Amino acid sequence: MDINPLVILLAAIFTNNILLVYFLGMCSYLSVSREITSSIGLGMAVFFVLTFTSGINYLIYHYILIPLDLVYLQYIIFIIVIAAFVQLTEIVIERFSPVLYYTLGIFLPLITVNCAILGVSLFMVIRQYSFIQSVAYGAGSGLGWLVAILALAGIRSRLKDKYLPRGMNNAAISLIITGIMALAFIGFSGVAIIQ
Amino acid sequence: MKQTPEEKKIQERLQPGVITLDGFLGKDKRHYHEIITEDLEKLKKLNITREEIADRLQYFTDLALMNNDEEEIIDYIYRVRYITERGKIVSPFMDKGLIAKGQITLENITNGFKICWTPLNISMIRNHGFFEGKGASHRLEPETLIKAIF
Amino acid sequence: MIVVIINNVIILAGIGGFLALLLVLADFFLANYGDCQIDINDKRQFTVKGGNSLLNSLAENDVFIPSACGGRGTCGLCKVTVKEGGGPLLPTEKPYLDAEEIEKGVRLSCQVKVKKDIFITIPEALFSIRKFKGIVDNIIDYTYDTKGIIITLQDPAKIDFQAGQYIQLQSRKYPRSKQIVSRAYSMANSPDRNNIIELIIRKVPDGIMTTFTHEYMKEGDQILLTGPYGEFFIRDTEADMIFVAGGSGMAPFKGILEDLSAKDTKRHIVYFFGARTEKDLFLVNEMKEYEKKMKDFTFIPVLSQPDEDTDWDGPTGYIPPLLDKYVRDPKNTEGYLCGSPALIASTEKKMKELGIDKIYYDSFG
Repeated sequence: MDINPLVILLAAIFTNNILLVYFLGMCSYLSVSREITSSIGLGMAVFFVLTFTSGINYLIYHYILIPLDLVYLQYIIFIIVIAAFVQLTEIVIERFSPVLYYTLGIFLPLITVNCAILGVSLFMVIRQYSFIQSVAYGAGSGLGWLVAILALAGIRSRLKDKYLPRGMNNAAISLIITGIMALAFIGFSGVAIIQ
Repeated sequence: MKQTPEEKKIQERLQPGVITLDGFLGKDKRHYHEIITEDLEKLKKLNITREEIADRLQYFTDLALMNNDEEEIIDYIYRVRYITERGKIVSPFMDKGLIAKGQITLENITNGFKICWTPLNISMIRNHGFFEGKGASHRLEPETLIKAIF
Repeated sequence: MIVVIINNVIILAGIGGFLALLLVLADFFLANYGDCQIDINDKRQFTVKGGNSLLNSLAENDVFIPSACGGRGTCGLCKVTVKEGGGPLLPTEKPYLDAEEIEKGVRLSCQVKVKKDIFITIPEALFSIRKFKGIVDNIIDYTYDTKGIIITLQDPAKIDFQAGQYIQLQSRKYPRSKQIVSRAYSMANSPDRNNIIELIIRKVPDGIMTTFTHEYMKEGDQILLTGPYGEFFIRDTEADMIFVAGGSGMAPFKGILEDLSAKDTKRHIVYFFGARTEKDLFLVNEMKEYEKKMKDFTFIPVLSQPDEDTDWDGPTGYIPPLLDKYVRDPKNTEGYLCGSPALIASTEKKMKELGIDKIYYDSFG
């Protein structure tokens, strides 16, 4: 396929938003969006991990798994790579920027279990993207996830002191808001980018 | 429900035997977020903020401190006694600093309502809107509390 | 078929192993801080393995920085001044430091990680704090809620302290208490008897530690504690002294009087002990002995609510109003207070009104 990587990136943020259109990566999105600062931290970390793991997984898939006819191992291999990469990222950040490490706190290891990360790698395989396209897709999905969580965090911070019917707090209202945002984002799929 | 590790730690610290022997949750099986949310609704209905409640409780606490652990009548209608205790404890919400111990009991002579609280209660109400779980030894029901101290 | 299985296993193991190796290398080169030196007050140096918190690294070398939360970053007591080598200030420390402290380089030692050579300053007094192992030798019932506890020290076998200082006692887990806590108690023995620690502990309702000491601790049990701490000791002057205590506040004065009596002090001392009823008084005979032995010591128990059917002929009511009569020269008087926060608050207020400005009490109570 010959789609411009930049188009893939933009599409991943808006029309193919991994969170609002494909509903992947919901759990940490729902619980962390309580605060704006932590949402920014987590969103940036997810963006970073997505960009790199989609590239690394592409290389492993095309240069190890396919030649050796072990394509079905992709699920296990991708998860192992994601877990190791997140761990590596933690070590590097702790060494070179302890302030950032403490600000992100527990969110760093939490990224491993974010299903959006695995989802992006698998989608990249299904859609048969090239290396550049894969990296662009990863970066775009990361940015899209960041935009989504920031939007929800902003809305929730406005709702903090407002009255809500009993039982609607936390998860319930977040899901409803997410649904409404998803409706808005799906509207983007009518947008065509003319090259 | 999913909790961050910090929330898990706080929930643990509210259990009996961790910071105080009786803990802060009483018979309440709910998560502290739910307790706070329900009480917040009650405060809204009563048209009062948690800062106002905390300030009022602090007012009685400060006056009663000077009375040698004995009972006194404040403002003609409040029978207040602060039994102080030595030592300080940390807040289960991991707020900074150490908080005094002891117990303050108040009886509103005009309507007979009685409540009791600790300096830690004031800090938890002011900073988190936490009035302790139902059945806890220092549970403060917002409705009873308002009738007693205002 | 076999070939496929072997292929799978090799590739999986290979990739997994490669990633693990990568992480081990990263950990070794990036997270390994090697040996670091901690320099304290330009006087003492320790070499420690880098990567641990400053608090723990110091504790491993028997330098105990006070902490009430076990190094979790919530009590703010473990402050030390870091001259250099502490790295950037972390967001977890900021809530506990004011602008002046930050400028001086004050940090929370439980949050500072030792990654390179680090130079710190701490108060001299902290050097003499040790961890002790002891055996509960004797538990005495003074009143219905107050017990005296004598602990024989084993390791180290002696403690070096000033009369009036306190130790931090460690509880053990018991059915209702899932965590070990530590609480401060003043020492009731004089520094001459330095192979024991004597405590006076009053039961507090809902108290984790006092439920342990009053219901679960037995003679013969092993017990852990650290100390000595505190600035509550007699100042070396010739000024008059007024002691004011209530309940377990008797403890430091017991040790102080034992010490002053042995030193044959000539200072003018008046000791007010406040309680509700006669049932709350204890060690009265010992105090009367000191009145006979010492040159100028008067013991005045004050009851706020004596039982009607006893023949109490001592002062009744509260201590602050009585101070007027017994203060000779406020400018040459030192006040020492130990008891409930209410007693300390009302007594301090009265002493200041009388013109006494040298007033001492422990901050933990």
